[in-house]
Amino acid sequence: MSDLNFDYALLIPEFILVGTAILIIMADLFRKELGLGRLVLPAIAALGTIAAGAASLAYIDDVDDFANVIAIDNYTTFFRVLFTVVLLVVVVSGYEYVERNIRHTGEFYALLLLSTVGAIYMAGARELLTAYISIELLSFSLYVAVSLAKTNPRSAEAGLKYVLLGGVASAMLLYGMSLIYGTAGSTQYSEIAAAFSGGTSEYGFALLLGLVLLIAGLGFKASAVPFHMWTPDAYEGAPLPITAYLSATSKAATFALLLRIFAGPLLPVIDQWQWMMATIAVMTMVGGNLIALQQTNIKRLLAYSSIGQVGYMLMAITTISDASASALLVHVAGYLITNLAVFSAVIAFHNRTGKEELDDFAGLAETNPYLAMVLTAGMFSLAGMPLLAGFVTKFILFQAAASGGYLWLATVAVIASTISLYYYLQVIRRMYLLEPARGESGRWRLSPAGYIATGTLTAGVFLVGIYAGPLFTVADRAARVLALS
Amino acid sequence: MIPEQFGRVGVLMLFALSFPALPLIVSQLFYRLRIRPEHPDPVKNATYECGVESEGSAWGQFNARYYLFALGFVIFDVEVVFLYPWAVNHAGLALGALVKAAVFIGVLAFGLAYAWRRGALEWR
Amino acid sequence: MSDGLSVELAHYLSVSGIIFGIGIAVALSKRNAIAVLMGIELMLNAVNLAFIAFARLGGNFEAAGGDPLAGHVFVVFVLTVAAAEAAVALALAVLVYRRRETVDLDRITLMRW
Repeated sequence: MSDLNFDYALLIPEFILVGTAILIIMADLFRKELGLGRLVLPAIAALGTIAAGAASLAYIDDVDDFANVIAIDNYTTFFRVLFTVVLLVVVVSGYEYVERNIRHTGEFYALLLLSTVGAIYMAGARELLTAYISIELLSFSLYVAVSLAKTNPRSAEAGLKYVLLGGVASAMLLYGMSLIYGTAGSTQYSEIAAAFSGGTSEYGFALLLGLVLLIAGLGFKASAVPFHMWTPDAYEGAPLPITAYLSATSKAATFALLLRIFAGPLLPVIDQWQWMMATIAVMTMVGGNLIALQQTNIKRLLAYSSIGQVGYMLMAITTISDASASALLVHVAGYLITNLAVFSAVIAFHNRTGKEELDDFAGLAETNPYLAMVLTAGMFSLAGMPLLAGFVTKFILFQAAASGGYLWLATVAVIASTISLYYYLQVIRRMYLLEPARGESGRWRLSPAGYIATGTLTAGVFLVGIYAGPLFTVADRAARVLALS
Repeated sequence: MIPEQFGRVGVLMLFALSFPALPLIVSQLFYRLRIRPEHPDPVKNATYECGVESEGSAWGQFNARYYLFALGFVIFDVEVVFLYPWAVNHAGLALGALVKAAVFIGVLAFGLAYAWRRGALEWR
Repeated sequence: MSDGLSVELAHYLSVSGIIFGIGIAVALSKRNAIAVLMGIELMLNAVNLAFIAFARLGGNFEAAGGDPLAGHVFVVFVLTVAAAEAAVALALAVLVYRRRETVDLDRITLMRW
């Protein structure tokens, strides 16, 4: 065991995040004694996040690992930057909301920072135990964060449901991991790949059961359809910035982990899991988009919309190849930008009105045309309209699936995507065609932070939609690490 | 071979069963033979709790305050499992291992300090 | 199968599978949040048994380049994570109980799809 590489400098971005979390807890504990203002905690969080994101840029084109458990390569760097950006957006666009609606602000920011560490290591893990611990670091932080809202009676219930269902899913995931460990003889991704590529006929049922349980457990974390029950409840009960974070980092991290596992150690047994993945992908995109049609609450609508998006992303795992891996990374990045644009607009709306039903958005085009424009751009991008991020990323994702021999899956995805346009249009129709509620027709403005967050993200949505070249290049370089043919 | 070994287990099991069964049978026998008188009253029939008078049913709920302490205890109790492998191999490990264990205990101490400052250790 | 009495990998795995089955049945059928949590703990213990069985009795693990230590380490981590999970879930159950006076999952119905 002396040949392990314990170069702690490889983990500096995460040290910064954890250090910031501890600093925030300390500052919060001694808030009164130090006489800290209300902006101090979000400011520390934002600065720590920026520092971590900047530090992770130093590892571009690095090919290294920490003690054989965490890979430091372009793939990890891609997600490090992505997750720190998401965290920054959530902190900036959410601090007003947090100030008003969260009981323990210090713990709130510390949990967000720690969960980002978990998310990064999910992307970087090259060993099953590390992957599991990272998943739990992310999940546990979110279980608590979901139930921190002080005004919403649903918050604690959502947290309880989330933790119980999450516990069942973790146990299934673990049992799957134990069976894979038992058949392959190791928890290292590379060793598992080596063991499985030498033929798997002798493992028979144990391996199949292991794969089923692994996919069920990870499917839960990604909220794929038979395992999605927690998603709408957790989204609705959670404080809005946490809902945004759930839909962004939690999802992207799960897919980062899925891609690394299914493109690496489990690639030799693709015949045994490909059909499961295809089935779940179809159920997820059709189911998510159909149930979304009936929703009347914006958080639940976005929850089911994000389930639909998960279906498209699972399609890329099904047809795994170099092209679809890089397409998945592009789509994840585009989806995160779009979704955060929508959520920062919803947060700004909630800050003003305190409401989150779809009908409350009636006449928004009259009272705040700017916010209506942001929401429209975001919704159209989620639906996949040309000139916006959603179109480009979905297009190459579907194209990769079709050219990977899964034309029927891509066709289902296009149909599901068309269905989704209907409920996105329902929101837009309310904003532009309906009258504002009585007594609320006066114009209002966002806070400066609201303008910065929504403006930057909307610009990002258009930028990716029109000039996506750089994003493709970056995603290509990140996906090349996986060494798919 | 199998019957022999299980036979021994069977004898042991019979012996074990007779331990609680015998006094019950003897007691019942004495009652039937009118050797033991039968005069029940509420104090005699009460559940015996080490001499302390029992109150309420066994399904009563505990105060939520206990949870706070139980949770703290469980967490710190279980984390010690990481120190066992370290302690067993301590003699053969380099200085780095000592530093790492110190960092680990430092994190736990930070958690304790946090709970203390938040008032989780006070009985309110 | 040397003398008919030795306990082998398959036996451990059967027991582990049965415990896991009981755990998942409890977790999915009980309505009390605490009982669901007990089911989850049962499932995690089944996982631990499977890991230890594989690590100790995984046939030619060492000869085939397998790593018996990984299973033991995994178990230690699962134990601690299970404790943390119980702590989080119980804290949330107490929080819900304070508001609603119940931890019956069928009566916690502020949200329905």
